[in-house]
Amino acid sequence: MSAQMNKRHPLAGKRMTGAEMIIQVLAQEGVDTIFGYTGGAILPTYDAIFRYNIEHEANKSEQMQLIVPANEQGAGFMAAGYARASGKVGVFMVTSGPAATNSVTPIRDSMADSVPVVLICGQVARSAIGSDAFQEAPVFNVMSPCAKHVFLVEEPEDLEATVRTAFGIARSGRPGPVVIDVPKDVQNWEGVFKGEGILRFRGYENRMKALAEARLLPEECAEFLNLLKKSERPLICAGGGVISGEAAVHLRQFSEKFQIPVVTTLMGIGSVDTTNELSLHMLGMHGTAYANYAVMDCDFLITIGARFDDRVAGKVQEFAPNARFLAHIDIDAAEIGKVKSVTWSHVGSAREALIDIMQEGKSFKKDFSKWIEHIRGLKKQHILNYDRESEKIQPYHVIECLNEITLGDAIICTGVGQHQMWAAQYFNFKNPRSLLTSGSMGTMGFGLPAAIGAQMAFPDRLVIDFDGDGSMRMNLGELETTTTYELPVKIIVLNNLGDGMVRQWQRLYFGKRFSGTDKSLRRKNFVKTAEADGFEYAVRLNDKAKLKETLQEFISFKGPAFLEVMIDPEADVYPMVGPGMGYQEMMTGDYIVSRTSEEGIFEKTSKPSESF
Amino acid sequence: MTDSSFQDPRSNNTQNTRTLSILVENRFGVLSRIAGLFSARGYNIESLTVAGSSDPGLSCITMVVRCEALLAQQILKQVNKLPNTVEAVDLTDTNCVERELVLVRVHAPEEKRTTLLTEAEIFRARVVTATPENYVFEVTGDSGKVEAFLDVVRPYGIDEMVRTGKVALHRALGAKTSGN
Repeated sequence: MSAQMNKRHPLAGKRMTGAEMIIQVLAQEGVDTIFGYTGGAILPTYDAIFRYNIEHEANKSEQMQLIVPANEQGAGFMAAGYARASGKVGVFMVTSGPAATNSVTPIRDSMADSVPVVLICGQVARSAIGSDAFQEAPVFNVMSPCAKHVFLVEEPEDLEATVRTAFGIARSGRPGPVVIDVPKDVQNWEGVFKGEGILRFRGYENRMKALAEARLLPEECAEFLNLLKKSERPLICAGGGVISGEAAVHLRQFSEKFQIPVVTTLMGIGSVDTTNELSLHMLGMHGTAYANYAVMDCDFLITIGARFDDRVAGKVQEFAPNARFLAHIDIDAAEIGKVKSVTWSHVGSAREALIDIMQEGKSFKKDFSKWIEHIRGLKKQHILNYDRESEKIQPYHVIECLNEITLGDAIICTGVGQHQMWAAQYFNFKNPRSLLTSGSMGTMGFGLPAAIGAQMAFPDRLVIDFDGDGSMRMNLGELETTTTYELPVKIIVLNNLGDGMVRQWQRLYFGKRFSGTDKSLRRKNFVKTAEADGFEYAVRLNDKAKLKETLQEFISFKGPAFLEVMIDPEADVYPMVGPGMGYQEMMTGDYIVSRTSEEGIFEKTSKPSESF
Repeated sequence: MTDSSFQDPRSNNTQNTRTLSILVENRFGVLSRIAGLFSARGYNIESLTVAGSSDPGLSCITMVVRCEALLAQQILKQVNKLPNTVEAVDLTDTNCVERELVLVRVHAPEEKRTTLLTEAEIFRARVVTATPENYVFEVTGDSGKVEAFLDVVRPYGIDEMVRTGKVALHRALGAKTSGN
């Protein structure tokens, strides 16, 4: 679990308050940034941060930076952005009651995308719990089904070990969010700091130990290699587990060595370099046409750190219909066979599994060049495309121009909706942890606070919040946070005057009745808003001819920058596999060549299922 | 007495009830977290018992849930992920003994007492207390036996009844199949 100290902690044996112990353990865990909003029930711990930072005035690198958002939800997504970008545990700290309930969304979001964060919540004093005290909320109950684990610190003597254990649980196995609810009197309590020790969870510890030791046996590798030998058209489907399991390097080696092409889920983007020849980009509802056709054509699907989510699998029975074999590697035993039953599976770390198979497969030879040739053809034939002649600014074009500037090296954060899918489809990503997006929960408003968190983790990298007008409205308050801390985040809002993704569905399935999604009459002025929040660069772009130069000047602006691009409000996301439909019913729109129209063998008969 | 003599078809899988045994750390909130995994999916828990185990730090939860085997397996896998869970298994198709205790207050007018007692004797039900109008019986057994006993006394008139819910234990070490 937590890193055991070899040396005695210099403060071990010292008397201090619970609040001070929390900060000491955070320091021990290497926390350099805390995102959070103070208030009555967490005051003692915020005071302890202040005093800790004064004590470390001489060495600024030892201080803990405090980033105060406009709303606690923002703090949660900042911590999540920090964690997603860096792989380290993100920390946020809020007061009781409304602050804690405002934090439920980022906690659930982090759970759904397996992001390690620790939330420290103030709680009313132990004697007041359950009395409907001021700013009291049943945090333990509310958070329990949303988090990986929740602690309510009842015994002050356990506080120190609890905080340490929370970090261990957050980062071990399949990572996730851990909440620590700390009553105010426990923060004010005084006791002896031990500087070491964790709470014991024997079942969990045993399972983590088993996971760490779960290597593939030579005969299991041989079984896998045998399936590979028998197949002609193998395909890897890489998910977020490859990234959180730090297995991207090994996946790339694996794919190169065996010459197996790779599709990724939304969460898996960046696990392979999207500009690589063997990369087919994203699969699924809005995957590239060539990725989805490859999934239909493959005869061996190797899924690594992914979970056949409904946005990926569509109609499960029809998913990968020609795959004679399915292999699944995941660190979470509960994901094996949950949606799709598989031929070969392994529960354990993706990295070790890939290493083991490559080791055993050193002399493996099989020529997949015909399949690779087929893949090359698919990529060429069904390339992503759009109306390049349009007078209006096309969102895809914006990204293509940005790609020329970023060269696939930026950290891209998104909100949720059409712009998110366009980002996943059209941006180049060379490295893991470079697309930060709310994949499973699909939380609008994620992008800006996540970008702030990512920029805190990497002050010198280019961090872009690629957002939509609807998502931007959700956490608009964090514009001010960006300028307050002078974070050079580049915020680009694609404004299509409403909720584009929902409108797309309304166009397709609800007779073009744009209930609640048309915002063309709203009087919001994003540029003035950004200016009011201190952005020195805040520009609205209407003119297609000025796109490239404006993007260049926006990205090269030193400091926070805001750019609103008025895009074609009719632009839709294609390809699209309707909800609950099979890949053969994929719609490719007017500009992407579809295989169905060529061959005309598939009839589009199904209606969207209930699993909207 | 053999357990099989009272096998009731209702206790087997045709009705899709699953008997789950979950060993957890004895801490607050664990039960609600586990129950939540069922309620979040809209499944009702038919019976539930929680008490200490042979290890003072651990509690054993025995749960009877009406759901498909596959779904029970999936939920057990989720239960097995919780930090407080030591082990979670589905005992339904394993070699285990199951017992439930029922207290039932039955109308026992003077003229029917003898036959009632004779019938109770078949089930080894004990009279724990009596009033001029009632007997309170205690009966222990697997669900088949308990249901059969209740069927027998029902015509006399059941006033009120409480059941502990099922507890279950493997007959031998290694007889279980894990939820994994």
